[in-house]
Amino acid sequence: MIRYLKDPRIFVFTIVWMMILVFAGTIAQKDMGLFAAQNKFFSSWIIWLWYFPFPGGRLTMVIMTINLLFFFFNKSIWKLNKLGIVILHIGGILLLAGGGLTAIYSTEGNMVIDEGAFSDFVEDYHNMELTVINTSHKKIDSYTVFDQPLLKQGTILQHPHLNFKIEVLNFFKNCEPIRRDTDPGVHYKGMMKNFTLTERPVEKEDNWNRPGIVFEISGTATTIDGVYGLFLGQNIPQSITVKELKYELVFRRQRTYLPFSIELIDFKKVLHPGTNMAKSYSSEVNLIENGIGKKKLIQMNEPLRHGGYTFYQASFMEGQLHETTVLAAVKNYGRMFPYISSIIMCIGLLFHLGIKLPDLFKKINKS
Amino acid sequence: MKFTSTLMLFLSLSRFVLGGMEFGDIPVHENGRIKPLDTFSRNQLLSLYEKRTLKSDALPEDEAGKAVEAVDWLLHLTTNPDDNDRFHVFNIRNPQVVGSLGLEWRKNHLYNRMEVLSGIQHQINYIADIQGKSEEQLTEFDKQMLRIYGNIIRFQELSYSFTCLLPLVTIENETIAKKLRVEKGTKLSYFQIVRNIDAINEPLKALLNKEESQWSAEEKEVKRIVTQLNDIGQDNFAVSIKIVPPENADDEAEWLSPWEIMESRELGERQEKLLVTLENYLQAYLQNDKAKSTNALTQYEQILLSDFNQLLSVKNLKTESWMNHTKLFYKSMAFYLLSFILLSLSWVFKPEILRKISFSSLLIGVGFHAYAIYLRIIVMQRPPVSTLYESVIFVSLIGVVSAVILEYSRKDGIGVFAGSVCGIILHFVGFGYANDGDTLGMLVAVLNSNFWLATHVTTITIGYGTSLFAGLLGHIYLIQAIRSPEDKAHLKTINSNMFGATLFALFFTLFGTILGGIWADQSWGRFWGWDPKENGALLIVMWQIMMLHMRLTGLVKPMGFALGLVLNNIVVILAWFGVNLLSVGLHSYGFASGIAINIAIFIAVEVFSGFGTYFWASNRRLKLKS
Repeated sequence: MIRYLKDPRIFVFTIVWMMILVFAGTIAQKDMGLFAAQNKFFSSWIIWLWYFPFPGGRLTMVIMTINLLFFFFNKSIWKLNKLGIVILHIGGILLLAGGGLTAIYSTEGNMVIDEGAFSDFVEDYHNMELTVINTSHKKIDSYTVFDQPLLKQGTILQHPHLNFKIEVLNFFKNCEPIRRDTDPGVHYKGMMKNFTLTERPVEKEDNWNRPGIVFEISGTATTIDGVYGLFLGQNIPQSITVKELKYELVFRRQRTYLPFSIELIDFKKVLHPGTNMAKSYSSEVNLIENGIGKKKLIQMNEPLRHGGYTFYQASFMEGQLHETTVLAAVKNYGRMFPYISSIIMCIGLLFHLGIKLPDLFKKINKS
Repeated sequence: MKFTSTLMLFLSLSRFVLGGMEFGDIPVHENGRIKPLDTFSRNQLLSLYEKRTLKSDALPEDEAGKAVEAVDWLLHLTTNPDDNDRFHVFNIRNPQVVGSLGLEWRKNHLYNRMEVLSGIQHQINYIADIQGKSEEQLTEFDKQMLRIYGNIIRFQELSYSFTCLLPLVTIENETIAKKLRVEKGTKLSYFQIVRNIDAINEPLKALLNKEESQWSAEEKEVKRIVTQLNDIGQDNFAVSIKIVPPENADDEAEWLSPWEIMESRELGERQEKLLVTLENYLQAYLQNDKAKSTNALTQYEQILLSDFNQLLSVKNLKTESWMNHTKLFYKSMAFYLLSFILLSLSWVFKPEILRKISFSSLLIGVGFHAYAIYLRIIVMQRPPVSTLYESVIFVSLIGVVSAVILEYSRKDGIGVFAGSVCGIILHFVGFGYANDGDTLGMLVAVLNSNFWLATHVTTITIGYGTSLFAGLLGHIYLIQAIRSPEDKAHLKTINSNMFGATLFALFFTLFGTILGGIWADQSWGRFWGWDPKENGALLIVMWQIMMLHMRLTGLVKPMGFALGLVLNNIVVILAWFGVNLLSVGLHSYGFASGIAINIAIFIAVEVFSGFGTYFWASNRRLKLKS
């Protein structure tokens, strides 16, 4: 068994297949966009081409890792002159392992802050959430959040904190609100009285999409029962009052709240003089934890690291009154692996080159 | 030894040759960078005329046979703006555009300002129409029209940039001349009169309250001067030569053109000193007074050194214009060619001395090549590779240096062959890119990090160079296997060289790629994002790992390994240039149109020659066996 698992030919085949995947996945980015291509080719276990299944990037890399692990069962490699090779392969395994950890555990999102404002949450790039906020109490709001996997057509959303039921009628990855010509009847409430949500083709870049949701509220036995709709970026949240409890329903990007908050003091964009070409972007921020603030500067190539998160200067928006910074927030457990593995691989390859070099560039015997 | 001594010679030669200040050394600000007027004028000429030096076809007949340097052209243009029709610098190649501008079709495609201007006036409505359109809506014809329109404005701006400094106003009245403290009949410039405007303020005020018939001779003179100033003031649109540095050493402050200064902006003391000196120079040039103009330039240099030293380095400016003139890359190219020719001769006649000479020629080429890159590093204050053009010249150096090392150990000409071929081909590619514009451009924000440019970019580019070198060895192996399949020992040595070169290449491509990941992790929080350029680098690494493992497992024999290395060249070229065709991702900074065809040709040549020589060689070996 081990004899087959350690066969280096497996490695050759997986690397050939991986090259095909990388090539196809790169070309596909032009049409599908990076995110979709990445999901289809690199982060997948199986790729379906027509009716035939092919191994996806993730499966290929797992096979490669297993094959690499069994490489160490080769008795012939445990010699001094193969030491470089052994070190090199250990580095390779670490690199793949780090990739696996990152693929499974890393999270990333955006933190958008206006100048002079705070933020203590990270918004997911892709997933949405439907949040029901109970605003009846004067001092505290209570939040009930339904994440994207639940927001599928036909799901019924219920929670002990809510005295009504929500049934998802439609979920659109991309949609457009269109004004109604005719009165749809009393069953349609809120925004849906005047608008319909029409599905649009999904854009290449996820942030060009405007997701939307249509749902029905029932179980209140009042005129509150009916069909409601929300879309991303809607100005006014949907408010309802059920049995004297006030609720607000918000449809937004999935949020992760942090144990600290960041205040944007100033955003700066510097151009190369006499051009429109940016020389640098930077955000001067105040990192506030437990009521204590610390001033930090985030700029290109110089992120802020705190609480397991790393904040990068990703983008910005220029408004009339103030500027807004967009920080990318990333949490990655595998981030040390590439550093360690590249050092190990570097040592291994240099070691091997050192051993082999005299052989490879021997002077030709003139005779 | 020979190599180091050649290099030392160049380094010592280096900047002692820099003499006094010349007009071309004067600093000007363009596209975010302080550069000498020499570079500026070359860039301007390149946009108009598509060459960096004026050849005789663009000059009037009495000057035919000469070539004019861009900076001399600029000097003539700015000091004699009304004589600017003498240069036929508008290069219009599109017959449709030539037709619609009402021009006659010329074989050299060159037209002067007058011709183009009158043509443009017929099409002004059409141009106004297409100016509002977006890039995608424009046809090729539209783009060409807009280019010509932009060029005529560019040319007009250049011509009239210094009119405020030229002596254009003659003072004819004795009293006024006295007030201005000059002799009667002296010609003064707009700037000179504006500086002394207080002297004529009194008569100017007086005449405003009088009927024209009651004006005195002085008042009439003042009126005439003011009218003339007004006329010259019409040139204030000409603001493209940003030659006046900010008063205080602040590298984010804007540089200004003379006309912007005239337009009642505040003028600092140092700025005024500099501008007055420039004025003196231009007037001395017009009077053909050599001593005075040299004097003015020396003074200009003194002011730069004493007052603007924090902002710019005069030495670097001089170095840059010296670089422009000496064209080091043409010199290295010439020596590579010479080396190739000598090597070919040495194969025909076989004397060892010829090989040695060709090797020396290669080394001299490397010296020029490395020195030119070194100077660019000094001038730009950044690591050698940050643009596509720079990557080409750097990869070519790496290829040649690898070949030199090989030749040093083999001493049979194979290294010289690989080196000269690599140098010649990549130099040609580099010249192609140089024609796209200023090769010393500024960088976008994310690339503005010398540390990562020095580590990741340099390593990965060395990886490209060594990979291409390994591919070249693959070619050589296959050719050798056709030429003399019986000489197994010889083939074996090339085989082990190939293997060594691949290990080297893998070392650089692998760590270049990983360093890129680490940069990405440091800068925007992900080690790997499947960006096309990252994938391209990954493909090279995987291809090389695959070749090494195939060789190890016996899936390929040396000949197959050689073929694999040849095909690796295709992967390298796709990763290096092809990625820009996708125009997605972070790295698509170096798009050049027409590149797709060149890549396709390259792939076809490599596939054809690789497989062709492979099967031919296999055939030869089979015959040898039977």
